[in-house]
Amino acid sequence: MKTEADLDNEIVSKVLAGDYNAFEFLVEKYEGRIYRHLRKMVRDNQLAQDLLQETFLSAFKGLKGFSGASSFSTWLFRIATNTALMFLRKNRPESVEYSDEIRGQVDAPHMSVSPAFASTPLENLLTSETRKKIEQAIDELPLLYRSVIVLRDVEGFSLEEVSKIMDSSVAAIKSRLHRARNYVRESLASYYTGTERAEKRKGSRVRP
Amino acid sequence: MNECKFFCDQLSDYIDGQIDEDECRYLEEHLKHCPPCSSLLASLKITVQLCERALPADIPDDVRVALKDFLRNHCKQCV
Repeated sequence: MKTEADLDNEIVSKVLAGDYNAFEFLVEKYEGRIYRHLRKMVRDNQLAQDLLQETFLSAFKGLKGFSGASSFSTWLFRIATNTALMFLRKNRPESVEYSDEIRGQVDAPHMSVSPAFASTPLENLLTSETRKKIEQAIDELPLLYRSVIVLRDVEGFSLEEVSKIMDSSVAAIKSRLHRARNYVRESLASYYTGTERAEKRKGSRVRP
Repeated sequence: MNECKFFCDQLSDYIDGQIDEDECRYLEEHLKHCPPCSSLLASLKITVQLCERALPADIPDDVRVALKDFLRNHCKQCV
């Protein structure tokens, strides 16, 4: 049975043989995910759009160099990541250089674990408000942390693939992922604790 | 509490199946007797599952069309 990577490799061969429609197929397949990744990296929709175009143009130009050693998606996300990092290093160096700290993260492990949060079924938690909270928490993270959590937990790449995309060791990726996940968890737990309190207050008002 | 800190630092790796058998056994033994750590693990797992589903890979139509036009214009020049 062919894997997703095998199918992509077949399409890449067609593009290399001069089939431009095959390239457009790859673009349509990955544009949404690459745009999401770039938006999270640079937190600016217009800039993400420019980098999206640059990423796919670089991919088209560099396709001959794609060896198939990693999957096409890993290769493409690496181009997108490098395109964004190059732009940021040149134009917003502070966002890259000082991005290895999570400010104000609480180290005490058991703070604000809302019992309801830990026991509520997933589908009930996934409201539009929660989506906003998650997006906001990810946006608050420094660049390297939010890139890692997006690649691993949103995009579903393996730790080894994330390490290739980010050009970092697996140990560094794990460490950033641990802190990023805990930061998002803390934000959600605080949000749910606040919501529960508000619900209880609301509930107590209607009681006789 | 120090013991909890030690185990809590392993939870993300535990979710990813990245800790070895012995570490796994010690951690699971601790979780059985420590409701706060157990609850922390549950909330961390939910956080990961929520992240998987929370951000759609939508792309606005104008961005998609602009990308297609941009590539058609520029890729032809490189062939």
